[in-house]
Amino acid sequence: MSSLLQRDRRLSRVACTLLMLVASAAVAEDSALKTATEVDRLLAARVAPPPAPSAGRVDDPTFLRRTFLDLVGELPTADDVLAFSLDDSPEKRNKLVETLLADSAFGENWGRYWRDVILYRRTEERALISRVALTDFLAKQFNDNASWAEIATSFMTATGNIRENGATALIMAQSGMPEDVTAEVSRIFLGIQIQCAQCHDHPTDRWKREQFHQLAAFFPRIAIRPDRNAEQPTFHVVVNDQPFRFQRRNNNNNRYRGTLEHRMPDLADPSAEGQLMQPVFFVTGSTLPSGTRDADRRNTLAEWITAPDNPWFAKAYVNRIWSELVGEGFYEPIDDLGPDRECSAPETLDYLAQRFADSGYDTKWLFRTIMATDAYQLESRSRRDYDEVPFRANCPQRLRGDQLFDALLSALDLESRTPQRSRGAMGYRRGGDPRSTFNLAFGYDPSDPRVEIGGSIQQALVMMNAPFINQGISARRPDGLGALLQANPQDEEALVELYLKVLARGPSPTEKQTCLDYIRQVGERHEAFEDITWSLINSTEFIHRN
Amino acid sequence: MTVTFHHQAEVAVNRHNVVRRRDFLRTIACTGVAAGATGWSDMLTLQAAELRKQGKACILLWLAGAPSQFETFDPKPGHANGGETKAIATSVSGIQIAHTLPHTANVMDKVCLIRSMNSREGAHARASYLMHTGYLPTASVKYPTLGSNVAHQVADPDFDLPSFVRVGGIRGGADGGLLGVGFNPFVLNDPSRPPENTAITTTSDRYQRRLGLLGRLDHEYATNGPQQEVKNQGELYEKAAKMVLSPRMDAFDIQEESEATRQAYGESQFASGCLLARRLVESGVTFVEVNSTGWDTHADNAERTTELCASIDQPYAALLRDLEERGMLQNTMVVLMGEFGRTPKINARNGRDHYPRAFSAALAGGGVRGGQVIGQTSPDGASITDRPVGVTDMLRTICHGLGVNADHENMSSIGRPIKIVDGGDVVTEAFA
Repeated sequence: MSSLLQRDRRLSRVACTLLMLVASAAVAEDSALKTATEVDRLLAARVAPPPAPSAGRVDDPTFLRRTFLDLVGELPTADDVLAFSLDDSPEKRNKLVETLLADSAFGENWGRYWRDVILYRRTEERALISRVALTDFLAKQFNDNASWAEIATSFMTATGNIRENGATALIMAQSGMPEDVTAEVSRIFLGIQIQCAQCHDHPTDRWKREQFHQLAAFFPRIAIRPDRNAEQPTFHVVVNDQPFRFQRRNNNNNRYRGTLEHRMPDLADPSAEGQLMQPVFFVTGSTLPSGTRDADRRNTLAEWITAPDNPWFAKAYVNRIWSELVGEGFYEPIDDLGPDRECSAPETLDYLAQRFADSGYDTKWLFRTIMATDAYQLESRSRRDYDEVPFRANCPQRLRGDQLFDALLSALDLESRTPQRSRGAMGYRRGGDPRSTFNLAFGYDPSDPRVEIGGSIQQALVMMNAPFINQGISARRPDGLGALLQANPQDEEALVELYLKVLARGPSPTEKQTCLDYIRQVGERHEAFEDITWSLINSTEFIHRN
Repeated sequence: MTVTFHHQAEVAVNRHNVVRRRDFLRTIACTGVAAGATGWSDMLTLQAAELRKQGKACILLWLAGAPSQFETFDPKPGHANGGETKAIATSVSGIQIAHTLPHTANVMDKVCLIRSMNSREGAHARASYLMHTGYLPTASVKYPTLGSNVAHQVADPDFDLPSFVRVGGIRGGADGGLLGVGFNPFVLNDPSRPPENTAITTTSDRYQRRLGLLGRLDHEYATNGPQQEVKNQGELYEKAAKMVLSPRMDAFDIQEESEATRQAYGESQFASGCLLARRLVESGVTFVEVNSTGWDTHADNAERTTELCASIDQPYAALLRDLEERGMLQNTMVVLMGEFGRTPKINARNGRDHYPRAFSAALAGGGVRGGQVIGQTSPDGASITDRPVGVTDMLRTICHGLGVNADHENMSSIGRPIKIVDGGDVVTEAFA
């Protein structure tokens, strides 16, 4: 490792903050740490005696890479790894979390995450127009530590130009159709799939068809209107509080104008007007009169949904973030909660959700808390079988498109513009910038059960054969592998550096031996190291966060 | 009895329906197939094994943007709504189509025209999604597209090329949805070149050597925990490498065809797509979708539709002839359609707007009896006067021709059973 220390380098992100933090002595908030301890106690109390041993506590390099990917969506640099491993403070893990929570990449990472939550379920393709505004809006909210209630309210009450107000994206993604917007609001903010009751009373759920349409009655007055006069074509989420003579539904079945009230269709006679629905929030039974203005409808619903007497709002968020960080939700799928669903550790979720609500839905507090638990800091194992005890290990997560894209850039020393040159070769028409193009191939809907998210052949082909990657691993480049080999004339040193750069850890003794044998067998240093680099970025470890 | 499980067909069923994916597999492994565990989904696996032997395949020729029925299969030369478009005789006496499709007219004996297609959806992306999946898009269920469903039901899981290939991307075409990424289409943008990222960038020896090193390193990694992930990744890479190194990859190269064959198909991008589709089906691919774009003719409809027809007419006819000459037509269903039709009245810009209430589609092969017309529209083309065929009727008919059970249920991620086609009836006279 001594060669690492001798290098001329910029100060790493971790090194900088460790210095800063030593000075300020600011350690993770007390309440978060106390809550984390209680969470672990509740989880442990659930199963006794343990039928299978828990995984061990994760080592420092894995913790570092996991935390980086989870909070800022990037790989730590070799310098970060070094600085972290040299820090002997017992508080260094909590400090790392604090550092990364304060980094603007935190908001960007989670902004992209929620962009995907909203846009992967779009029924209106043109909602993609709002992609940039949506990500920017979310990134700012998360970096400013806006409360989850505040963020949720913005989405439910949004109006205006979808290119300017990112919070309109949820409504735009569902074409402003009241039923579809309702279903998404309930799924995302309550974790309740009440749309199952849209057409019939559900056999295994308590929600009735009427309750779904009463919830839809909060949204009849919104619509999406195209704006063809704008410099770039766009849409507006508009509100209609005035009666009008004609229902403007053209041949295309587009809905440019809201209706004053929502009606539940008559199943026996779909062409009939349907039954007038009064706005009622099914969780609490709170009611608004028909005739209420749109602004009052949507603002009131947002108040009711985010109020502390509605436990599902906190539970839905906690369940989702817990699942992203620990690898498995209390409820699975993560957006299908409710009184009729099975929860794998109800006391723990209730407690954590309650504390989250007490914190004022403080999103950074929740990250801080979960990441301080033993449950988070366990080594990862493959997803458990259904009948095995939950939360005995962390679980590997496939990197999302954005995370993998950034990981490739940093592992191969690529500028973000490089893939653009070979965009044609990437084979995807839509997208535009290299990141979006990459996401078309590698992105996935974060609400989908992870067990169902496998890689595709097309993804494997990109990783194995895409020109930008094969140019990226070239030892003839002045930067990247070329520079690394030049700076480290000894194979063993070069190998350590390469592992640090690509996998953010050093090679194990066996791995070192395997690679050194390989180098000897190939006989040509550049060629051998290119092959090793290729193998590392194509490895299972590289595309997962462990 | 042994059953090969399509590994991608392992539908996850959540607790509402008791079994999860691994439990399901375990249940089957424990109880054996003949036992009573076969209630809902494995019977189809047995059935699919048989179907594969029959070699059923489907080519969907998709005209994105919605072609005008007046300028294609349902001309109305005697009426003001028909515009200048003339009707011409075909190889089947009594059947006339628009003068824009002379080659197609010559193969009408192989084609079953449906002039009474109808739906209620007139927005491109939604209608396209509807025609591909049988459902309108919703946020809660990701309905699989036709090609994914057919590949899921019919294709051989050990086949070394993708079972579902889409030539040219389109809006609203949908993908594998709840069946998983394993059933997403393999998308090609340019049919005249081999697919992207399938050319290896090193010598084959070095490629194999790299794969070997990757395997060794991943194996070592698996000893530290994530065995399942390593196993999945290994299988995926094996499949991808098998594809890249497969001798069948030549199927993607239409330059291998004789000059005479290539000339028979013509020169458009669509022609290359049709020729590629035939090559792929011949090599064992189950479902090929070839997309043609630009049919959204709100202005200068007759002129533009005539040009577009010129780009599809010869290849379509050549494809049907070629399939027949090679003895493949009986087992290959060829479907030609778009997401809806166009308005009877010609608008102020000499265009036609969206019209889902009455439009045309064409079926051939796969047991369909050619040389017939099903359904009829009124003299002004505004309404259907005989034998309406809805979207689900059409999809059910295609499934029937391919031997796919349209009532088969897949599970959504929240445990809701989703039929391949919900409702509708097979248009039985198409096969009579």
